[in-house]
Amino acid sequence: MLEKIKAISESVKNKIADAKGSAELNDLKVKYLGRNGEITALLKGLKNCSPEEKPSLGKHINALREQVERLISEREQILASNELDRKLQEEKIDVTLSVRDSAVGGLHPLTLARNELVDAFVGMGFEVKEGPEIELDFYNFQQLNIPKDHPSRDAQDTFYVDDNIVLRTQTSAVQARTMEKEKPPIRIVCPGKVYRLDDDATHSPMFQQIEGLVVDKGVNLCDLKGTLDEFAKKFFGEDTRTRFRPSYFPFTEPSVELDVSCFMCKGKGCRLCKGTGWIEVLGAGVVNPIVLKNCGIDPAEYSGFAFGIGIERCAMLKYGIPDMRILFENDVRFLRQYR
Amino acid sequence: MKVPYSWLKEFVDVEYTPQELGDKLVGVGFEIEEYVYQRDSIKNVVCCKVLSQEKHPDSDHLNVCVVTDGKDKYVIVTGAQNVTVGDIVPVALDGAVLPDGKTIRSGSLRGIVSEGMMCSGGELGLTEDDYPGAGVHGILILSADVKVGSDINDVIGNDDVILDVAVTANRPDCNSILGVAREVAAICGKKIRLPNLSYKVTDKKVEEFVSVQDESFDLCPRYMAAAVYDVKQVVSPKIIRDRLKAVGIRPINNLVDVTNYVLTEIGQPMHAFDRNNLSGKKIIVRTARPGEKILALDGKEYELCDHHLVICDAEKPVAVAGVMGGEKSSILPTTETVILESARFARDSVRHTSRELNLHSDSSARFEKGIDFYSQEIGLHRALALFDEYGWGKIAAGEIDLIEKKSEPKSLVYDYTAVNSVIGIDIAKEKIVSILNALDLDTTVDGNMLTTVLPPWREDLDGVNDVAEEVVRFYGYDELKPRLISTKRGGKSDKQLHSGKIKALMVSYGCQETVTYSFISPKAFDLIRLPQEDVLRQAVEISNPLGADFSVMRTTLAPSMLKLVASNYVRGNKEARLFEVANVYLPKSLPLTELPDEASHLSIVTYGEEEDFYKIKAILEDLSDVFALHFTFDRANEPFLHPGRSAYVYADGNKIGYVGEVHPLVLRDLGVDRRVYIAELDERYLAEHGVGIKPYKAISKYQAVERDLALIAPIDLPAADILSTIESAAGDVLESVEIFDVYVGGQVPKGKKSVAVTLTMRLLNKTLTDVEVNAAIADVLGALNGIDVSLR
Repeated sequence: MLEKIKAISESVKNKIADAKGSAELNDLKVKYLGRNGEITALLKGLKNCSPEEKPSLGKHINALREQVERLISEREQILASNELDRKLQEEKIDVTLSVRDSAVGGLHPLTLARNELVDAFVGMGFEVKEGPEIELDFYNFQQLNIPKDHPSRDAQDTFYVDDNIVLRTQTSAVQARTMEKEKPPIRIVCPGKVYRLDDDATHSPMFQQIEGLVVDKGVNLCDLKGTLDEFAKKFFGEDTRTRFRPSYFPFTEPSVELDVSCFMCKGKGCRLCKGTGWIEVLGAGVVNPIVLKNCGIDPAEYSGFAFGIGIERCAMLKYGIPDMRILFENDVRFLRQYR
Repeated sequence: MKVPYSWLKEFVDVEYTPQELGDKLVGVGFEIEEYVYQRDSIKNVVCCKVLSQEKHPDSDHLNVCVVTDGKDKYVIVTGAQNVTVGDIVPVALDGAVLPDGKTIRSGSLRGIVSEGMMCSGGELGLTEDDYPGAGVHGILILSADVKVGSDINDVIGNDDVILDVAVTANRPDCNSILGVAREVAAICGKKIRLPNLSYKVTDKKVEEFVSVQDESFDLCPRYMAAAVYDVKQVVSPKIIRDRLKAVGIRPINNLVDVTNYVLTEIGQPMHAFDRNNLSGKKIIVRTARPGEKILALDGKEYELCDHHLVICDAEKPVAVAGVMGGEKSSILPTTETVILESARFARDSVRHTSRELNLHSDSSARFEKGIDFYSQEIGLHRALALFDEYGWGKIAAGEIDLIEKKSEPKSLVYDYTAVNSVIGIDIAKEKIVSILNALDLDTTVDGNMLTTVLPPWREDLDGVNDVAEEVVRFYGYDELKPRLISTKRGGKSDKQLHSGKIKALMVSYGCQETVTYSFISPKAFDLIRLPQEDVLRQAVEISNPLGADFSVMRTTLAPSMLKLVASNYVRGNKEARLFEVANVYLPKSLPLTELPDEASHLSIVTYGEEEDFYKIKAILEDLSDVFALHFTFDRANEPFLHPGRSAYVYADGNKIGYVGEVHPLVLRDLGVDRRVYIAELDERYLAEHGVGIKPYKAISKYQAVERDLALIAPIDLPAADILSTIESAAGDVLESVEIFDVYVGGQVPKGKKSVAVTLTMRLLNKTLTDVEVNAAIADVLGALNGIDVSLR
């Protein structure tokens, strides 16, 4: 019997190692360990052995069974691993192929610019206000010190609905409404659509502005400069320099234009800034006391500043868009550039 | 305002170059739109002496000349016959540029290389009046004392620099050389030199020539007139002609030129009448009588209204005040006596009249900007001084000056610290005073109080803020010390935040945001097949639109979005998902009695291989989840939507929009031959009613039980009815129910459809037992029976 055990022990190693698949291995399992398997037969044969031989033989048979079980289990793992490798190999694909169906959309560049502008001012404690686009002449002009027939109305040709109702030419109308309703301190920005009779590469009959207004005690030109410096750094970059140039708007006095150092050439002069090193970005000024008075705020007690920024212009500068009309064509090939 | 540098220098001793001066003007608020260097119009044209002249060997009409610029010799072939040896002539050498933009190059003429071209007066843009000999047929023979080798620009005086100065609306006084010169004087720290305003008069009195009545002081607050008799009509002197040309005005003759010259120099529009054609030797300033007509200088007849201000003689209008003279009283070659008008007409009146008659002139343009009371006097005197200086006529003594009341100069009294509190820095009192005085704003000091006398030409100045602006623009904006205002609570409203969230969700769905015009064509309503009586056709109309295509304010976003689909489709974009959040304008009544309702709408359009009704609807359904609103859908009936594939959208029972496939007839009109899907929602409802932060809801730890049911339902029964019946019958155990298959045909009886649903059931606090599940299913089936739905 001992020889038999030895013989099985020797032959079984190779047989298991040679097993080509789980079926073959399973057959071997049955052949040796099954109910009628060879090792089971050996165990059954023990009862015919002498009591002296039994313990020793029993040990050998058990050792043999453990050996076979271990070999089968090891072989099983190898086969499973090979099987997986083969399967993975078979599942190989061309990773350079692409089947995108462009699942991500995007905001319009004007919205991106507007959001960035609004956020810059919200970060400085400004509240965001909105108002009607079809507006009373009263709020769009008269309250802002632009009486009917004022020559500055020529500069911004207005769409009229009737004598008293216009498409607002500036979001300053919201400022007038806010001043009427709220008491200082006031600190607001008003983003929104405005309309002027103009249509070319740098003008659109509909465009967006964001205008700001601060009314409080002791507000002056230096506060305006400080606020706009912060904004310019935030929007155009930390190393941006600014300068004020005198200008004229009926609702501010003094009035200024703000130039920022050209962010393309850093002020050296290039095509974008037409060689001047500066880019004009917005108009601003100290709120004309007449406007405060019109809106029910005592100019002896309070003063303010206001500014207005063209969102299209900012978007065009920031994204390098050469023609304003592209913004309103809404060709998806253009829009998808801003995802 | 075109300002020739040389003209400015007559008023102020400017020590800056034109470019430097321009930069300084920008610094005080006058942008320079353009610098025109006259020299750029003629380049490399040199005065040369003709050394020899011979016949061209191969041509009868060409001569070969040798000329010199004093250094080099050049061979010039010319066809002109008026050149003789020893003449000094302008020669355009190789690379020369002439006023018409032509560049001259050396070239061979019948075998002989000509190294340039001799120029005629015309080729240099000159007439006989500009330079003697410039008008002759042939080469311009220059005066014998011209230095050989000099640049022709120096010889003909084409060497000025013109600054095109942008003048803001608050500074009408600067629409004149004098006005800009005042600013320049302040920049340079120099005193301004006024032009010659003095003249000799004769014994005759102006009243002998004309009488004037002003019947409308409100529209004509000042009317001045003077008479010049025995006038001569001649070509104006070169200096006047050159200056007028420099500012873009064509010189005509002295009588026309003098009014243009004064308009440019002083800023006062003037008019010259032929006294002999003024009936009754009278000038009456009045408003027109209904039906009155005038034949204006432009040769057209204009019918006047009773609010148009006119200048009349004893019988009829002879000029539209401030706009244009009439032909009947205009200056003719036979004119002997001229009445010069120098008036102030009300800005708005000229503006209205000019627009209503559609009649515009340099004069009306100037009046529309505003003329001060000072200019009439100085303008009239300047014109008379020119008449006198050049001997153009005899000036009658005296002048007519009708003014309602002469206003005293205004002054401002203020504390100088008030100026500083506008600016925000401490500028010394003395500095403030010196800046103001340099600007001719005479300021005197009494302690901290300043008194500033406002000159009549500064009608824009009104209060301390105006003074502050004058001070800071000369003190320098660079001196401001930026200061940050104290902080305050800011931010966006919940509604604004919600709108942002909607856009973010659209983007996550692959939609591209668009921005389209708020105004549309009224034809857009036809495009979407709205019936004539449809309320959406009640749109706010713009009275002066850019064109009919942009003339009404949209009441729906649909036409704009559909047009975008068409334009994208035409450009070969095979698929797109577009969205826009924008206002629609819904009038409460028309014509407007109050401002319309401006409602923010969200519109989505989709087209392309992969798109269908359910996909665009899914976007809306997710939107409802995000805002914790309950959307329901009901078959829609809209003329621009596919009747079988469109639905109205309800949020908690409120109709807030539609979704559907676009009607094929609309697509046909758009030229789009594929299916397009569109949705439009009242964004305002979402922003206002949407729930931003939803309350916490516990999630169950226990296993869910899923049961599939195969149902047979009437073919027209909406899926939504089946789902809502299941939801209410199953009760608390139901977590969700979904339809995963709908099938018609095959083994399904006619008039029926097969609907397969999955019920997911789960409780928060325990595992469901079979008994509980079966009871729920039994309840569901019972309820379904009630709507004619049974197990298959």
